[in-house]
Amino acid sequence: MSKQDRREVLRIEGLAKQYPGVRALKNVDLSFDSGEVHGLVGENGAGKSTLIKILAGIVKADEGSFLFDSTPASINSSKDASKHGLCFIHQELNLVNYFNAMENIFLGHRYPHRFGPLVDWKKLKQQAQEILDVLAIDVPLEIPVLHLSAVQRAMVAIARAFAVKGSIYFMDEPATALTDIEKEKLFAVIQNLKNQGKTVVYVTHNLEDILRITDRVTIMRDGQVVKRSNTRDMTKDSLISAMIGKSLESAFPSSKTVIGKPLFVVEHLKNAYIHDISFTVHSGEILGIGGLVGSGRTELLETLYGVRSIDYGSIFLEGKPYRPSSPKKAIEQGVVLVPEERRKSGLVLNRSINENITLMSLSEVSRFGLLKHAYLRQRAKEAGKNVHLKASEYTQQVTTLSGGNQQKVVFAKTIMNMPKVLMLDEPSKGVDVGARFEIYSIIRDLAAKGAAILIVSSDFNEVLGLSDRILFIKEGAMTSIQPNKEIDQERYLHYCYGRTNA
Amino acid sequence: MKTNNKTKALAIIKTWGTLMGFFLLLIIFSSLRPDVFPSGRNLKNIIEQVATLAIVASGVTVVMITGDFDLSVGAIASLVGVVAALLMKSGVGTVPSILIALLLGTSAGLLNGVLIAFGGLSAFVGTLATMTAYGGIALLISKGTTIFALPENFRALGQGIIGFLPISVLIMAFTVFVVYILLEQTTYGRRLYAIGGNEEASFLSGIRTREVRLIAFGISGFFASLGGIVLTSRLFSAHPQAGSPFMLNAAAAVFLGMTSFREGEANIMGTLLGVFIIGVMGNGLNILGINTYVQSILTGAIIIFAVLLSSIAKKRQR
Repeated sequence: MSKQDRREVLRIEGLAKQYPGVRALKNVDLSFDSGEVHGLVGENGAGKSTLIKILAGIVKADEGSFLFDSTPASINSSKDASKHGLCFIHQELNLVNYFNAMENIFLGHRYPHRFGPLVDWKKLKQQAQEILDVLAIDVPLEIPVLHLSAVQRAMVAIARAFAVKGSIYFMDEPATALTDIEKEKLFAVIQNLKNQGKTVVYVTHNLEDILRITDRVTIMRDGQVVKRSNTRDMTKDSLISAMIGKSLESAFPSSKTVIGKPLFVVEHLKNAYIHDISFTVHSGEILGIGGLVGSGRTELLETLYGVRSIDYGSIFLEGKPYRPSSPKKAIEQGVVLVPEERRKSGLVLNRSINENITLMSLSEVSRFGLLKHAYLRQRAKEAGKNVHLKASEYTQQVTTLSGGNQQKVVFAKTIMNMPKVLMLDEPSKGVDVGARFEIYSIIRDLAAKGAAILIVSSDFNEVLGLSDRILFIKEGAMTSIQPNKEIDQERYLHYCYGRTNA
Repeated sequence: MKTNNKTKALAIIKTWGTLMGFFLLLIIFSSLRPDVFPSGRNLKNIIEQVATLAIVASGVTVVMITGDFDLSVGAIASLVGVVAALLMKSGVGTVPSILIALLLGTSAGLLNGVLIAFGGLSAFVGTLATMTAYGGIALLISKGTTIFALPENFRALGQGIIGFLPISVLIMAFTVFVVYILLEQTTYGRRLYAIGGNEEASFLSGIRTREVRLIAFGISGFFASLGGIVLTSRLFSAHPQAGSPFMLNAAAAVFLGMTSFREGEANIMGTLLGVFIIGVMGNGLNILGINTYVQSILTGAIIIFAVLLSSIAKKRQR
């Protein structure tokens, strides 16, 4: 499509959004043209998802205006969003599993009828086929989408968006579950959408895909647009530099660790999620685990914690074989985990602080199965104090605490007994800056006392700021293991994206 | 100011609404039949009537804390009663018969636990199936008839009196006390409530969640059996469907109890309150001469009303 045929279909001006303690977006200007594929990139927390939530009508912006085809309009609900032709295709595709493709495509539409109330299935199929033909999509129409492949399901979602006459298609990491061949099919459909004069906004961490399929790219950082460019003028390196921008602040307590003997040795570990991972963590050492979301970082920790089974390989803890069959076994041997999502897997939100802190150590605060209440409260109090937990009453429900204090409860529970190996998955996610520093101090202290620590974080500054060495994994396999002092932000990202010759 | 008062009122209704409703029932029945309802004899009657339900519902409470469900308690109670009666009639001593029957009922509960916690069946489907099967066994071995003429010394459990207290009421009090200690004072209770709050977090904190749930079904089976034995003694006969009303009444009592004392969680004091609400309703409506079909309708309506009231109060409070 030539440049002249393009017109601006959506212009966003001065968009701003403030969350308590965080400015998610400030003064964001963006514009999308018809017939273009527009890449949107940025690190986690750069503001991409807030932007998309605002456009989808899920979150309301504090400031800013929208111009659809040069006409001002507002987005107050998801209904408004679809009225303006915005449609959103993300990893969870919101398909009805037991419906077939044509039923999903016309979900919420009035089906064609004949003989009064009877559905005219023939006509419905014909209409569905017409849409698929326009987009050059090939999916079976009459079997439940449950039985379709990941890419076919994505295609159904796209066809559905097309059926409601969408004009701007937001795709958020649509290719993560796809194989290379499937990805080609998706790209072909994106190309077809573009040829129909539609706009595709493509959000992904995969910079190669951005370079391949987009016409223009917008880079966000810290809630602002930092660069807009034609994709052909960009390279992977220039994208990464633009994404990083700012320098690493001195937000991390300094290391006081003396690295000791090998404590935790993992050899050729394999299962369905990870492939042949080997590393050694020493007493007092913090090992960062670098990689993108979905690279197998979390699954590696879960495997070491006994949540996922081990197919092959061996692990040694203080020289003795270690093969956990459940979290209980791992805890008994001094291997503990602060899980990724505290509300989902770290806390029992409707129970008290006391109960949460002692949940991992119930056998210690009881005798013959009977709770020793006074001792339990005392231990909880001590553990809370160690992590600087701020709470008026330990009998209050955990759900009433701030994110930072909730995370401190998880820490208090996990490290109530000095662990040998402490594994941390996103330890500061959703934690305010002040509490963050305290959490880092706790981690450093434990290392100084001789624990071996593994840390996974999407915030690469955190990994760089805390780790002694960094293990990089991509698609479940380790790509390299590097001393921290040889890594800067740029090289970090290169390793994450699997480039080894940075 | 006005909204503040409103929130306060809602908070009070949320926590104490069910208890207030219970007293309201007492007042209504007392004022309608002041001569009969509030008499000492009638109140004793009510307590004796609800004793077996309280025993069974205590066990169901344990299961429902983790978010599971037990539909099979009625069938287990019936089966255990029939087995105890048949054993006694075949010449086995009264005490051994009771113990064997209790063991059998507890095993039936544990089998539920195995199917649900380890077999991955949903609690609803699992206990629906075993309810049907256990009920079938009870009918089969009793040939579908009532078993009469039990040994005289078996009368004590359901009809005996120590001092002025009926033994069945003492068993109820003991059951409630044991379950209270279990839930509030033991590590097992903590684990149950933790699983009910967040099963994944509990598992990651080193709790063997499947074992805990399995044992809960065993406990439910045991108390269903105990209830079945006391019932059989009280009726002094075993009928293969005698325990059937327990299934829904026990669940109803626990649901009513979840609306008070511990917000949204099954708890033993709440269950006891629920049991008494159901008992007082039945007794009061009987005294007023309202037929049993209407009683069922009213009981259903009260459960809906209580649970709805507490969930509305909960929503408004946010």
